[in-house]
Amino acid sequence: MHDIDPNWAWQVFEPTAERPWDRALAAHLFRRAGFAADPTTLDAALTQSPTTVIEELLRANVEPSQFRTTADQLAETVLAGGEAKRLSAAWVYRLVNAPSQLLEKMTLFWHGHFATGAEKVTDARLMWQQNQLLRQYALGNFPALVHGISQDPAMLIYLDSVANRKAHPNENFARELMELFCLGEGNYSERDVQELARCFTGWEIKNKQFRKNKYQQDTGEKTVLGQSGAFDGEEGVRCVLEQPSVERFLASKWYRFFIADEPAPSAELLQPLADEFRKHDLQVAPALQFLLQSNLFFSSHAIGRHIKSPVEFIVGMLRGLQATASADLISKGLIRLGQGLFYPPNVKGWDGGRTWINSSTLLGRSNLLADLLAHESTRFAGDSLSAYLKELGIDGPQQAIEHYESTLLAARLSDEMRGELCRAFPKAAGGDEPAARELLHAVLSLPLSQLG
Amino acid sequence: MTKGSLMVFINTNRRQFLRSSIGGATAIGIGSHIPACFTHAAENSKRARENILVVVQMSGGNDGLNTLIPFADPDYKAARPKLGFSAAEVLKCTDSLGFHPSMSGLHGLLEAGDLAVVQGVGYDNPNRSHFEAMDIWHTCRRKQEPRPDGWLGRYLDTQASGSGGDVLALHLGQEQQPFAVNSQSVRVPTVRELTEFQLRGQHREQLCELLSSSADEKQAVALRSSTSVSMKESPSDNDLLAFLESSTTAALAASERVSEAVQGYKSDITYPTSELGQKLRIVAQLIDAGLTTKIYYVQLDGFDTHSQQAQTHSILLKQWSEAVSALIQDLKSHDHDQRVCVMSFSEFGRRVAENASEGTDHGAAGPMFVSGGKVAAGIVGESPSLTDLQDGDLKHHTDFRQVYATVLHDWLGVDPTPILGGQYATLPLFKNQVASAS
Repeated sequence: MHDIDPNWAWQVFEPTAERPWDRALAAHLFRRAGFAADPTTLDAALTQSPTTVIEELLRANVEPSQFRTTADQLAETVLAGGEAKRLSAAWVYRLVNAPSQLLEKMTLFWHGHFATGAEKVTDARLMWQQNQLLRQYALGNFPALVHGISQDPAMLIYLDSVANRKAHPNENFARELMELFCLGEGNYSERDVQELARCFTGWEIKNKQFRKNKYQQDTGEKTVLGQSGAFDGEEGVRCVLEQPSVERFLASKWYRFFIADEPAPSAELLQPLADEFRKHDLQVAPALQFLLQSNLFFSSHAIGRHIKSPVEFIVGMLRGLQATASADLISKGLIRLGQGLFYPPNVKGWDGGRTWINSSTLLGRSNLLADLLAHESTRFAGDSLSAYLKELGIDGPQQAIEHYESTLLAARLSDEMRGELCRAFPKAAGGDEPAARELLHAVLSLPLSQLG
Repeated sequence: MTKGSLMVFINTNRRQFLRSSIGGATAIGIGSHIPACFTHAAENSKRARENILVVVQMSGGNDGLNTLIPFADPDYKAARPKLGFSAAEVLKCTDSLGFHPSMSGLHGLLEAGDLAVVQGVGYDNPNRSHFEAMDIWHTCRRKQEPRPDGWLGRYLDTQASGSGGDVLALHLGQEQQPFAVNSQSVRVPTVRELTEFQLRGQHREQLCELLSSSADEKQAVALRSSTSVSMKESPSDNDLLAFLESSTTAALAASERVSEAVQGYKSDITYPTSELGQKLRIVAQLIDAGLTTKIYYVQLDGFDTHSQQAQTHSILLKQWSEAVSALIQDLKSHDHDQRVCVMSFSEFGRRVAENASEGTDHGAAGPMFVSGGKVAAGIVGESPSLTDLQDGDLKHHTDFRQVYATVLHDWLGVDPTPILGGQYATLPLFKNQVASAS
């Protein structure tokens, strides 16, 4: 990656005759800055410049109130049952239906970043509160989000930090705050962990609520990352957030999330993105604008250089084809594919990239699709798949394949593969519903379809 | 094996597969062309008698001090006023050491001569991050060095043959695949649940063929040079796509072989119902079915006991101890125990002094456990001092790569030096160190 020129990389992308602002590029933008867009949305985007489309995606940083009310009501219904497993179905509803795709995508990013597992927290409502916190700041103020998460009951339960006594401070939260949330491993010392842990003494969770117990607070002087003072928890967090590793750490995670799984970018390439984040006082939206509108984002260094996460794979298919399906079926399926919502593998979250893929998850992706497509509740713009394709004027397997390529895939299939698909499913898109679904299933089971 | 006999074998094998997983009626009408996914089952029977390594990863940082307990040391009781065990409680191994009371299974293995415990295992400048420490154990490399693969992955690279055969290594479990098995040339399958490990759908035959041909090399080249805007000006091949294609091939091959192998296994041994117990039962089934897989990898998570450690730790140790001992018993009854070795490790031990939450924080050195019929049983190495500490943690006297080197050289029969990136003295862990270098 050393051969990418940072100056070129972060300049604003201007469409050219060779690289026009077309459906393929717009579909790439929506796959990364969201999950996928249907043809109408893509065509609407093409009437505006890429930068304007990105600005609009970022401006939608709060859910429209009507949608929010519906989605929250659904969550409340689930919470009444108290079962965390069903809560993930409520989030699936948002992922599939949210008008503000980037907001939802970033909420998912923060869930992986501030990973907290319902298995240990067990209280579904606390998990839901955390999810709302992540959504509130998803495109907003990173320091506010870090301060919020430092006092978040679900997080502190997850990291065994419901009690922090001055005699033996618990180091777990202090360590993860620096290692996984803000700085990255290697950018602090073991001494910093111990000193920062002293700052958090007296912070505890009682009756599911955060509170400060002044009797357990270590009021002595601490030295955290080179700063000394009789710091409390808030000041400890401030010391961490003032480190320049913060912007570099987040820039590298966003690079991987939005641009390419691999190879890892050079420090030189990342620095302008990091600087942009710091320049805007660690506000998320300006940094993402800088990233998404760049030459790099719309280049071959980014397109097809990402393995879809299970959520991107399934939700993308649904959004791209204006489909709805059983949220329960999806949320259970996502657990088997390695991305159970509210069930990250550990506090480090999902590693992503190649780690999504193994024999079980590859077969599992195909099988979950088979289950969804076999289920009668799965509809496409409220209709059958064959009727949906017909409505779009798509006739025959060849055209159906092209449609799937342009909305869902990062690249086109080879002519040989198209030929094989057409031979295997000759009746697809001729009004034969089972054949249409089988063809879609086959296309999305291909290795190429796992790239996003 | 001649080409002719190989074809006969594949045909038989394919018929078995169709009978077992699709059913006679649907199998009628499938053409004579054999999809690539069925041909990978060609068995290399020579390998079926080679040594096998089962790795059990205890994730989260196992409290070694409460696993192999220096009950006679007064400093132990002082460091563990609430969490410590008394001489009367432990399962005695020697005059001064005993197992945690819930480890009767492993205690039985030790007494039967099937278990070795290596004390004080660690490495210089120990890292106390779960993830970084685990990466060090998995790759034998520090963060500053390039880490494209794991130590077992590098071993697999030495074993990779051009074609056919069973998968060389298998990871069983819900969790992410361990970095240790990342290899340059071999895709290690992960099996989460056996019932999920086959393609579903009405048209799975067609799908299987399509996926096989899509993963076929010629097709892949065509795919990569496809005419789309996106890929046209790619600076190089898309490595991720190549990875997805080879993973698909591996998945189809492993799926067929594994589903076939686990049918009709009988054992008199009752495995614990825990997840680990069930995973190790599958390992025994696959070994007994003659799979030539050389490495099995399983994990047991939850050892990160920062608070209220006593009960959690006891449950975990019981699950681990019972599952491993059931596996060894089962292998014995099927006459495989002489060629299987089970190695258990954790990314670090825990701090010597307990914390105020009746738990323990991240530490450094800890014990490793090696079991099997060929193991030279006993406690290996000195007990680390409880007073000469490093930042409150036990100091190691044995590098974990010494244990790896022993397993690689004396058990798997390969030269450990290039795999581990240095020379490490081996330990007396096996009865007769005869594994033939292949």
